[in-house]
Amino acid sequence: MSQSFPGDALDDTPSRPLIAPLAPMLTLREEYVNGSQGFVKQIDYLISEGWIGVRRTRGDGDCFYRSLAFAYIENILNASDTMLAATGALSVLEASQPQLEQVGFQRLVFEDFYDCLAGLINQVISPGPDGQVLNINTLLEAFNNPEVSNSIVVYLRLLTSAEIKTNPEIAAFLIHPETGEQMDPESFCNNFVEAVGKEADHVQMNALATALKVNVNVAYLDGHDPQGKVSFVPFQNAPFTFLEPVNLLYRPGHYDILDRRDADPIPPLLVQ
Amino acid sequence: MDARLRRVNKEIADCKSDKSSRVTIDLVDDNPFHLIGAFDGPEDTPYEGGRFQVDIVIPDNYPFQPVKMKFITKVYHPNISSASGAICLDILKDAWSPVLTLKSTLISLQSLLCSPEPRDPQDAEVAKHYMTSKSSFEKTARYWTMIYAGGPGEDGAGRPGKDAAKDEIAMAGLDRAHVAQFEALGFDRSKVIDVLRRMNYRGANVANINDDRVVEELLK
Repeated sequence: MSQSFPGDALDDTPSRPLIAPLAPMLTLREEYVNGSQGFVKQIDYLISEGWIGVRRTRGDGDCFYRSLAFAYIENILNASDTMLAATGALSVLEASQPQLEQVGFQRLVFEDFYDCLAGLINQVISPGPDGQVLNINTLLEAFNNPEVSNSIVVYLRLLTSAEIKTNPEIAAFLIHPETGEQMDPESFCNNFVEAVGKEADHVQMNALATALKVNVNVAYLDGHDPQGKVSFVPFQNAPFTFLEPVNLLYRPGHYDILDRRDADPIPPLLVQ
Repeated sequence: MDARLRRVNKEIADCKSDKSSRVTIDLVDDNPFHLIGAFDGPEDTPYEGGRFQVDIVIPDNYPFQPVKMKFITKVYHPNISSASGAICLDILKDAWSPVLTLKSTLISLQSLLCSPEPRDPQDAEVAKHYMTSKSSFEKTARYWTMIYAGGPGEDGAGRPGKDAAKDEIAMAGLDRAHVAQFEALGFDRSKVIDVLRRMNYRGANVANINDDRVVEELLK
């Protein structure tokens, strides 16, 4: 973890892993006990609703994409029919390649990123180079390898960009985050989607959920709800998916993964 | 093979197979992570007819980190340091994306030559020159293109010969009469050129600068 990436400096805890093992929600609560009681109340609400676990990600501007990618692959891994889930996901990805070329990305710039993501999903159903199928430990390992992890993040950024550039319904929502001015899809994507470390907002989240054909629920923690409740914003763009929705936890400027378990399962012993 | 090397090799091959852009990338000492790129000065600009070389260093985390580029060929441009060749361009900094390639980045540098951004300068003196008198700036940029990049120069004849001395007044983008005026007071020509250049003694700005202030600077 000695490598540094653009955005690392933004993180107050640069030693945080890119994606951490699942931890009890109570660990997050402890961080607020002596601070904002608004957040504590909202965390208690989440716990009472059964969201007892959180998987933390590094705050490097890529956290939305990285969280979504991890939760997406983990959902494939945990699907009741992994074969159906993995082949479904792979066919969506396969079809995305010509779309990327159509909006002007050269194959040579995205094929390595694609191979990384598709390779990992394929490993859910067929043994990888190490002779093993994917389990939660090897998935965590892959996502903490900066090259693999960042390749996957970039591929999701490109999918997001291609969706924004080809979906005319999105055009009206392309607003410069600072000036509030309307932007054309090309410059919006150049500056706020394709660039490394640029955080995602609703437009990007919606576009990516559509492109990946995955439903996403985001729990917004802002510390301001008078009743201490948490609102979930659904990005339901995949009516016919085999996958469970991805659940993310938002705190101002950052995304983590929300879970109904408070620890990662111990992978079953592998047959020699 | 290491992913970075695989990507760079693909990019170099892609650039070689494309003859239409006239962008070239060559290895320095067989090191695939230290390269020299080159492209033509864009048409209808003071850089037209010149060939510009760029030093390229591929960082360890490429393509997740931006490629490092600076001009080897000296360029007179508000966003390029006239001394070091350092470049001020967003995609080389926080707007970098792994979808950019060596070729597309070099083409962006070519576009930068077409559209200077003097309000976000790398070379403040050149930017001031540009904003004071665009025609004088262009004349100087054209002269630099002739001297350093093999451009045709003002009269289209090109550089008078390798040994011919550079005209320091033209290099600094100054008016001959202004230089002569202060030389006549007994100051050394190179000192006069240096001071007038730093004070942006050009075009309409001349009226804002008192002669006494120039002399004061010359005496420092």
